[in-house]
Amino acid sequence: MMRFLTGRLALGVLSIATVLLAYHLATIQPDNNPSLLPPITDIIGSFITNVTSGSLFSALGASLFRIVLGFFIGTTCGLVIGCLVGWYKIAEYLIDPLIEAVRPIPPLAYIPIIIIWFGIEEFSRVLLISIACFMVSVVNVIAGMKNVPQVYVDAASTLGANRLQVFRTVAVPAATPFIIAGYRIALAAAWTTLVAAELIAAPSGLGFMLQEGRRYFLTDQVMMIIVIIGSCAFIMDRLFRAIQARLMVWSEARE
Amino acid sequence: MPEIVVDGLTHTFGAGSENPVTAVEGIDLTFESGSFCSIIGTSGCGKSTLLKMMAGLFEPSEGRMTLDREIIKGFSKRRGMVFQQDAVFPWMTVARNISYGPRLRGASRAEQAGIEKKWIEAVGLKGFEDRWPRELSGGMRKRVDIGRVYANDPDVLLMDEPFGALDAQTKERMQSDLLRTWNETRKTVVFVTHDIEEAIFLSDRIIVMSARPGRIRHIEEVALPRPRADEMRLTEEFLEIKRRLWGMLEH
Repeated sequence: MMRFLTGRLALGVLSIATVLLAYHLATIQPDNNPSLLPPITDIIGSFITNVTSGSLFSALGASLFRIVLGFFIGTTCGLVIGCLVGWYKIAEYLIDPLIEAVRPIPPLAYIPIIIIWFGIEEFSRVLLISIACFMVSVVNVIAGMKNVPQVYVDAASTLGANRLQVFRTVAVPAATPFIIAGYRIALAAAWTTLVAAELIAAPSGLGFMLQEGRRYFLTDQVMMIIVIIGSCAFIMDRLFRAIQARLMVWSEARE
Repeated sequence: MPEIVVDGLTHTFGAGSENPVTAVEGIDLTFESGSFCSIIGTSGCGKSTLLKMMAGLFEPSEGRMTLDREIIKGFSKRRGMVFQQDAVFPWMTVARNISYGPRLRGASRAEQAGIEKKWIEAVGLKGFEDRWPRELSGGMRKRVDIGRVYANDPDVLLMDEPFGALDAQTKERMQSDLLRTWNETRKTVVFVTHDIEEAIFLSDRIIVMSARPGRIRHIEEVALPRPRADEMRLTEEFLEIKRRLWGMLEH
């Protein structure tokens, strides 16, 4: 029993329950204004209303579509370019300065120019998420390629591997831990960028519902969406960790 | 049959820079086919540099090396190398590591399986085929390294202090097992070490190098009978060679 109470899951539940309880206690104070700090029951009520009306699902669908597509495009480009830059000196000299120069710019800074060029379209939002995912993943893929231990490369070469075989059978697997770590950070970046993009310019999505909640003073809806975003990002990260554990079964550091 | 000839070999690191370092200078050597030769010397004598050039990791500044009269240049599967560090690929199981070389050249699944079986047994890793390298001890990983090179069927094995990181008991086991494998295959071995006893126990010939710049100081023919047993390490003949070589290494 004691072991269960001090277990990882139990403590995790405890910490979340504590925060919820504190919030609840704050909302039942006599001088609390429920339109500023909505009670938990109101937040649940907003959840039920939006589920029954279907608007939560369509918002969630729109957002997930952007995330998945943007993540896929961004990380795929990041993988290809990162491999080239990290492995081939010529590509490094050509492209690396460019990446380094662009890297400090937050992706959100591109919003105005993207809107001017492409309008407030689905394409613009996916593009923005792609850029965010690309920047994060490319840097990690390059780091992974640069950290391939030389002894593995030498061993493969002396065993008769040509340059392409070394790349395929040594560099890529050796860089996998870095690549996957980069993908996880890219996923987090995708959520950040998504919400920001939808807050500014979107006719649908979770960010749009946040904005709607602000406009019509629906704090319960705002709170509800925040929880939904947190839960989605958490679930996706968990899925990613499961994939990571599978791919990294050989590694000393599997977490 | 493969025979390595090293002819007037000199290598300078950072040639043309402000402070070039001559690692080895004027090395002339012949490694007879099927022989087991060791190169010993204190650290900095260029023994590893010499071996790495034989493997094709880099080219000498002067002189040349031939294997079977063919000039050594770049990598070749004919010259296999066992590294000082752990070079087992952690993302492949033991069996996949062993058959890595043949797989590169498009060996069929059946061929790979045959090679895996043969060499996993030969290096004493039966039962560990499907394990990940992280699950093995340092000595066992070294066995994978050696098995992988043998499975690639080179003419020459270049070994760069392969047992340097192992504990004394494991080291002696590995030495005996290496000799058994060598005896069965009779491939030429060039073995670099700083351990005098290891060199005597294993070799037909020991090349002693002096440092800065690395030159050949002495060549010792080891007349101890084969097969060699661990008890030999304590015989008078063995210890006499050890004393002589010990005096030659700079302490």
